[in-house]
Amino acid sequence: MLKLFKKNLEILPVLGAIIFLGLQVISDLSLPKLTSNLINYGVAKGDINYIIHIGLAMLGLSILSILASSGNVYFASTQAQKLGAKLRSQIFKHVINFSGNEVEKFGSSSLITRTTNDVLQLQNVVVMMLRMMLMAPLMLFGASFMAYFTEKRLTILFLIAIPILLVVVGVAMYYAVPLFQKLQKQIDKINLVFREGLTGVRVIRAFRQDEREQKRFDQANQDYTKTGIRVFSIVSLLFPFMTIILNATNIGIVWFGSHMIADKSMQVGNLVSFMTYASMILFSFMMLSMIFVFVPRAAAAAKRINEVLETQNSIIEPELTQTNQDANPELSFENVEFRYPGAEKEALERFSTSVKGGQTLALIGGTGSGKSTLINLIPRFYDVTNGSVKVDGQDIKAYQKAALHEKVAFVQQKAVLFKGTIRSNLAYGKADATDEEMWRALEIAQAKDFVMELEGKLDATVEQNGDNFSGGQKQRLAIARALIKEASIYVFDDSFSALDFKTDAKLRQALKDDEKLSKKVMVIVAQRISTVTNADKILVLDDGKVVGQGTHEELMAENEVYQTIVKSQLKEGEA
Amino acid sequence: MHGKKNFEGAKDFWGTVKRLIKFMGPWKWMFALVFVFAIGSTIFQIVTPKVLGEATTEIYAGIKRGMASKQSMSHYPINFTRITHILLTVGAFYLISAALAIGQQLIMANVSQKIVYRLRKAFKAKMQRLPINYYDTHQNGDIMSRAVNDMDNIAGTLQQSLAQFVTSIVTFIGVLVMMFSISWKLTLIALLMLPLSFVVVGIVAPKSQKYFAAQQKSLGLINNQVEEDFAGQSVIKAFNKEDESIKNFEAENQRYYQSSWKAQFISGLIMPLTMMVKNLGYVAVAIVGGIQVASGKVTLGNVQAFLQYVNQFSQPITQIANIANTIQATVASAERIFEVLDEPEMPQPKNQAEAKSIDSQAKIEFKDVQFGYTDDKLLMDGFNLQVQAGQKVAIVGPTGAGKTTLINLLERFYDLKGGHIYLDGQDTHQMKREDLRSHFSMVLQDTWLFTGSIYDNIKYGRPDASKEEVIKAAKAAHVDTFVRQLPDGYDTVLNEAASNISQGQRQLITIARAFLADPEILILDEATSSVDTRTEVLIQKAMDKLLHNRTSFVVAHRLSTIQDADNIIVMNHGHILETGNHESLMQQQGFYADLYNSQFDN
Repeated sequence: MLKLFKKNLEILPVLGAIIFLGLQVISDLSLPKLTSNLINYGVAKGDINYIIHIGLAMLGLSILSILASSGNVYFASTQAQKLGAKLRSQIFKHVINFSGNEVEKFGSSSLITRTTNDVLQLQNVVVMMLRMMLMAPLMLFGASFMAYFTEKRLTILFLIAIPILLVVVGVAMYYAVPLFQKLQKQIDKINLVFREGLTGVRVIRAFRQDEREQKRFDQANQDYTKTGIRVFSIVSLLFPFMTIILNATNIGIVWFGSHMIADKSMQVGNLVSFMTYASMILFSFMMLSMIFVFVPRAAAAAKRINEVLETQNSIIEPELTQTNQDANPELSFENVEFRYPGAEKEALERFSTSVKGGQTLALIGGTGSGKSTLINLIPRFYDVTNGSVKVDGQDIKAYQKAALHEKVAFVQQKAVLFKGTIRSNLAYGKADATDEEMWRALEIAQAKDFVMELEGKLDATVEQNGDNFSGGQKQRLAIARALIKEASIYVFDDSFSALDFKTDAKLRQALKDDEKLSKKVMVIVAQRISTVTNADKILVLDDGKVVGQGTHEELMAENEVYQTIVKSQLKEGEA
Repeated sequence: MHGKKNFEGAKDFWGTVKRLIKFMGPWKWMFALVFVFAIGSTIFQIVTPKVLGEATTEIYAGIKRGMASKQSMSHYPINFTRITHILLTVGAFYLISAALAIGQQLIMANVSQKIVYRLRKAFKAKMQRLPINYYDTHQNGDIMSRAVNDMDNIAGTLQQSLAQFVTSIVTFIGVLVMMFSISWKLTLIALLMLPLSFVVVGIVAPKSQKYFAAQQKSLGLINNQVEEDFAGQSVIKAFNKEDESIKNFEAENQRYYQSSWKAQFISGLIMPLTMMVKNLGYVAVAIVGGIQVASGKVTLGNVQAFLQYVNQFSQPITQIANIANTIQATVASAERIFEVLDEPEMPQPKNQAEAKSIDSQAKIEFKDVQFGYTDDKLLMDGFNLQVQAGQKVAIVGPTGAGKTTLINLLERFYDLKGGHIYLDGQDTHQMKREDLRSHFSMVLQDTWLFTGSIYDNIKYGRPDASKEEVIKAAKAAHVDTFVRQLPDGYDTVLNEAASNISQGQRQLITIARAFLADPEILILDEATSSVDTRTEVLIQKAMDKLLHNRTSFVVAHRLSTIQDADNIIVMNHGHILETGNHESLMQQQGFYADLYNSQFDN
């Protein structure tokens, strides 16, 4: 936590906040002294001039106090919010550039909470620290000092009261802090069960598990409630107990004080101001105890943020690059091997292959055979462990990331659309695309018909995640978005499975018929044999191994795995 | 559309308050006790400064007596018996006040947790009774925020603000009474400060609220963007949009910074400003009081007590203002929760006995079914279908043809707009949904599994299944092989994001779950689309065994999986285009034949 603070807080404003806080404490501490003087020399002696004199001084002090505290609030709130804004943007920039490895390590939902909630926590703790928590030690020190100088014999009372207070707070914290942690876990559990109830509603109902869900939720709810009652009972005892200690101290002060006054060793006014100091001292102890509640929570948030910020992007960009703008479309894998970090086994065993512009490379194989892994190497979402991937004749490691992504258009297995319009989603592929180009891309992607029927056509709204489109429609829009991009390699990660046979076939035909696209490299991951039969080269994958490459005919003749796949899809005699 | 802003006020404030009070009904005596305790505790607390002030007066009187008597004494003649008496009284008051406060807080901690427990339970139970249509038309995030944030708001307010509200009001009135009992002149001076602090709060508070609203809005937008961009991070990278996305984020982040520090700064000013007003009053009272003590009109102890009251006086005002805001937000939260609780529920069939039966040979019969997801557009209009027991029915057709709809209606996730569906001749509309669904088991496109072990997830299909049965189902669905390779085997806990097993493996688990359920009628909705074709063959073989003598509905895009179906229904636009088996449909040379042949044209 300190590291984040050190990096992101500015020294001068923080100092400013502390100085203003100090000023505020000084003026707050001086008021009781003035009050006691007012009583000792003004009221007791009936000196009205003195009363007015001191009264003005008190006014002056309170104005000073408000100026000081405004200054403090200003610096505290700007610093805290600045810290929040800086951290958020650091994390965001960092995460946006993460490679697949890093995203997988955290999981995107965890990255989201780290960017939002954790930063918010930290930001709140900074405000509290600069305003309240730092005030506690200053006030404690100042009030003790003043109390000692007002009447040192009475300070002995503090030697009794403070240890008792510390014990009370300590005992409460000892029981409450672990309970608070437990409470947090239990509320997470409640939320988890509830969320699952939302996402799985159909399955739950189909299996008639509603009652079980209710019970599961009720269990979590009860656990939370039990802990909640316990922890809040402890906390609610704390305050009355502290008040009792404070009040007992006050009674002690009056008792001993009155004896001191009786033997003329103390003045009446000091009694009043001493009581004020006493309450300040005990109050600052209460504030200090808050540190134990908030700081560990903020420290945990800071740790989670640091984990993200300290994670190095495993993909390193070259400093200098040659450009090969005019090179011909080409894709080759040379002795490529890949293994996920920490994994024991290769996800992809050594293989080589290459395709030229105008050719289609198709990948086929079972679940977990490594198809997606293989194509994820092309846009460098992951780095090869050995060997090299070349795009347009150049090693992808020699490209700037942006330049590489210019050359590769990629359609994910799961279509991701962004909130906006059809137009804004397509513009993602090509910022200055004309309407004509957009329609052309939609046409090839077999999306023209349904977009035509939409209200607003190209300007029809796309909800978050494209929720207002069906799976097949989303996929076709994602394909159109990729096609509009002027790349040399187009990669489709099982993008056609969500389409029916007819649409699938039409789409592939349209790709072939298009003047521009027909000259590019197409990489298609597929599950259906019919999708790949026409490819110029088919890669057959099995459990991380490329077990065969060639055309449909070649593979049919000699590749066993391929034959099995074909057989499984087409009944004997039809193939 | 639905409650996207948490900071919005309640639409019907008092109506919601009344409902909330009604909801708390069972605890009304507890609340009464809390209020009595709070009032009692506050009164004892308020009286003490005046009593303690008497001690000061007593001391002061002693000093005066000492100074008045001409003889010099080593001690002032202070009446210690009286002081002892006063201090004992004060001590007793403190203890009573603390005891009442403890009692009040303990009850409140208990009651508030229980109320929220009940509210949460009611909310969750409501989710069970809402039609699927509700889930379709409301975003999960929105429902979640009601179940989480709004609940939290209510819990927090009950726990802290409610009793504080009472305490503040009692303090305010009590302090006022005490001040009047000491000196009406001094009270008037103190009261002069009141309008001043109202002015301060009145000017500053709305300003800070404006910025708070802007801050909330920015925060919402930031969160949205973070969610969307992180989820689609690889797409952003693939399209080289990192800079643009960062730029958008920075812009919103800056807006958030601007409004948030202002909101915090201005609301932070309220406290020092009211402090200053208070100090102003304090000094004024000190001056006037001092003069009055000097002239003997008021006792010193009373002025001292009065000064303490001035300190206490301003506190409840700011507190009440704060709490009023909190309560407003809480009522808005409660309203959002009640809104859900008020949603129309699925109608329950009136009486089992009334269930209308027809004489039908078919296992399942759709008769003149009319259905549409929205009221204005019918997707199915006069749909008829008969399925005999033990038949395998395949449903094919392009996206949006109504294939999934058919399944939705079978399971009765939606109610018909017209017509009937009969199961064994019994009108499904008049059966209990649970009874109806007990005849089905399904594997959906969406591979939902809950956070728990693989074992428990399979067992979900039939909770009373034995371990052997679970393993048997897992083997049949080819789950066993990959599960055994996992370090924790069947105890492997699937996490929420389900990143620890692949999509295809998840699908296999859902298939195992359906295997275990061993239903009369099996529904497979594109269940095999993310399982590779080789695994699918193995599943298919096991499935054939399972399907034997069992009625089944299969929705699949791969025509190879359904060629042996007894009946293939080709749908488009909510209508049946063709029915028949593979051979007869191929001979018809219609839509199906077209679809089938497209597998092979290149």
